[in-house]
Amino acid sequence: MRVILVVLPTPEVGRSEREAIGAARALATAFAGEVNVALVGPAAESVAERPERAGLTLEASANARTFFIAHPMLRGYAPELYVSALEQLLATVRPDVILFPGRTIALEIAPRLAYRLGAAMVTDVIGLQAEDGAVVITKPVYGGKAHAMLVASRPPVVVCVRPRAFDPIEGEIVGGDTTWVEVALDPSLERTRLLERIQEESATGTALEEAQIVVSGGRGIGGPEGFRLLEELARWLGGAVGASRAACDAGWVPASWQIGQTGKKVAPDLYLAVGISGASQHVVGISRAKCIVAINTDPHAPIFKVADLGIVEAYENIIPVLIEEVKRLRVAGKA
Amino acid sequence: MRVIVCVTQILDPEIPPGEFRLNAERTAAAEGIGQLVMSIFDENAVEVALQLRERMIEREPVEVIALTVGPPSAADVLRRALSLRADRAILISSEGGPVLDGVVVASLLKAAVERLHPVDLVLCGRETGDWHGGQVGSFLAEALGWTCVTFVSRIEATDGGFLMRRQSDEGWEIVWAARPAVATITNEETNVPRLPKVRDTMLAARAPIPMWTIPELVSDVTGLWGANGRLQVRELVIPGTSKACEWIEGETVTEKAVHLVRALRERRIL
Ligand SMILES: Cc1cc2nc3c(=O)[nH]c(=O)nc-3n(C[C@H](O)[C@H](O)[C@H](O)COP(=O)(O)OP(=O)(O)OC[C@H]3O[C@@H](n4cnc5c(N)ncnc54)[C@H](O)[C@@H]3O)c2cc1C
Ligand SMILES: Nc1ncnc2c1ncn2[C@@H]1O[C@H](COP(=O)(O)O)[C@@H](O)[C@H]1O
Repeated sequence: MRVILVVLPTPEVGRSEREAIGAARALATAFAGEVNVALVGPAAESVAERPERAGLTLEASANARTFFIAHPMLRGYAPELYVSALEQLLATVRPDVILFPGRTIALEIAPRLAYRLGAAMVTDVIGLQAEDGAVVITKPVYGGKAHAMLVASRPPVVVCVRPRAFDPIEGEIVGGDTTWVEVALDPSLERTRLLERIQEESATGTALEEAQIVVSGGRGIGGPEGFRLLEELARWLGGAVGASRAACDAGWVPASWQIGQTGKKVAPDLYLAVGISGASQHVVGISRAKCIVAINTDPHAPIFKVADLGIVEAYENIIPVLIEEVKRLRVAGKA
Repeated sequence: MRVIVCVTQILDPEIPPGEFRLNAERTAAAEGIGQLVMSIFDENAVEVALQLRERMIEREPVEVIALTVGPPSAADVLRRALSLRADRAILISSEGGPVLDGVVVASLLKAAVERLHPVDLVLCGRETGDWHGGQVGSFLAEALGWTCVTFVSRIEATDGGFLMRRQSDEGWEIVWAARPAVATITNEETNVPRLPKVRDTMLAARAPIPMWTIPELVSDVTGLWGANGRLQVRELVIPGTSKACEWIEGETVTEKAVHLVRALRERRIL
């Protein structure tokens, strides 16, 4: 029996976490293996109390265990303590595959744990297959221009799944055989201290990663003022605003709006790419969008190769008119 | 204070998908399809180090040293760092060594950092622009037993440590990190790489670059080999991308906007 351990070190169990469990489930089915879930830190307490709020149901099911690791020191940013706690769990549980969601805190803990375990480690994973007892791992490389298939020659292997690449589990049963794991954390391990948290709000109040409609701008927007137009359109559409790396690096919009290889991964019904050329590193962040609309002055921009609908036009000309059209539609819809 | 920046040479990440090809074994990009450049986040890391040096000018001299592990031709990225006015650069030659995976690179960097003792801060990119590993910085911190903070965009020195601005999923965190530390660098408007001056590029082209070999750095070379081979590249494939784009036309912009809204309504998106 193969054991897959999903490690959730984030304070909340959201879509990315449920996707990680979904990825583990699919692999376990192929392997006839079991899925264990380890909740570390504040999420352990909240899920133990109210699993349904995290979209999970804890119910006795054969061979699926849930580990809760809570400790007063496991709060906020303290990667070294999380690594230490997980090391203690892994002294007793011996998984073949250790799966993390693609969150920044997970991406910080996973390689350090892998190093201590002497385990192979792959980030940004979009595919997991069982093949003759081995795990075949797929990840995009060269900014998405190729996909690499990697085989871990010996267990364990540590995998961080890319957000929006796997289907999340919804309200499903997670191992009801629950264990509270006691960990001892040495205060002298703590080499970092969180001093301040700066929340960057989305422009429209809709979280980028959850939005069904995303209006995104790139270098072609030319400055922060242009983004006010995109925000207005997004507000009328009930969506969120994203950006390319070029627009974030220019300081026109916050870095947390960046979409792509090293930004957020989104999977909306509608993705409107405005003044974005469509570099592969941007496009990998929107590969699961249902409908991509590109607005660009250059008919040869690569974004049109991945777009469903394309308009060759300067954004300054079309966006204000588009806002009026959407407004009309919305007002008519309400009447 | 001594700051080390780890830099990597990669295939230009901006080459268009149409020009991208695989090697005959289908295990990596074909050679020669584009220029070799410094990995993009390593450029951000050099910038963070230079800004730290500039801000410290009144308080304490800061020495910035660029390191790379690679074949002698990788010296080009060190020259790039020198042209941006890194103080020194050292090539760790990988010739005759094992295949460079994250663990091997981290082991060699660790040995080099120890040889450069005392080092206060090591900067790495958050991930390379070719294989997007996202692990060498963390591996290195573990190997050294140092503090590690990832996704950092700015750094200030304080007594006994550093203040780091760290990107989180929701925004930013200000984290204090004990010295010595490793930080992996992400992009932000404040660390957009500067361009080198022509004169500095010319000087860098002629600068001698010391080379350290693997046997000089690690006594147990077989141990280094042993760390390898945990992952095998079976095959690379080029994903099919092209969709048939439906062009929304119109005599005027208003017509185009109306047609777009109609097309979206037909698709039941609006
Ligand atoms: C390792 C790595 C990771 C990266 N991660 C990311 C990432 O996460 N996200 C990301 O976005 N990029 C990322 N990049 C950068 C990426 O390669 C591109 O450089 C970037 O996406 C380009 O942004 P852009 O399309 O806005 O700018 P450009 O490529 O400059 O395109 C601007 C476009 O605007 C159009 N335009 C100009 N004026 C107008 C107008 N008035 N109206 C309409 N259109 C107009 C132009 O025709 C052009 O197509 C990464 C790169 C690397 C190497
Ligand atoms: N061969 C190398 N030489 C020096 N530094 C490297 C090398 N490979 C990786 N690094 C550093 O580690 C970072 C992350 O690499 P990776 O984990 O492979 O994505 C890079 O941005 C570099 O700073």
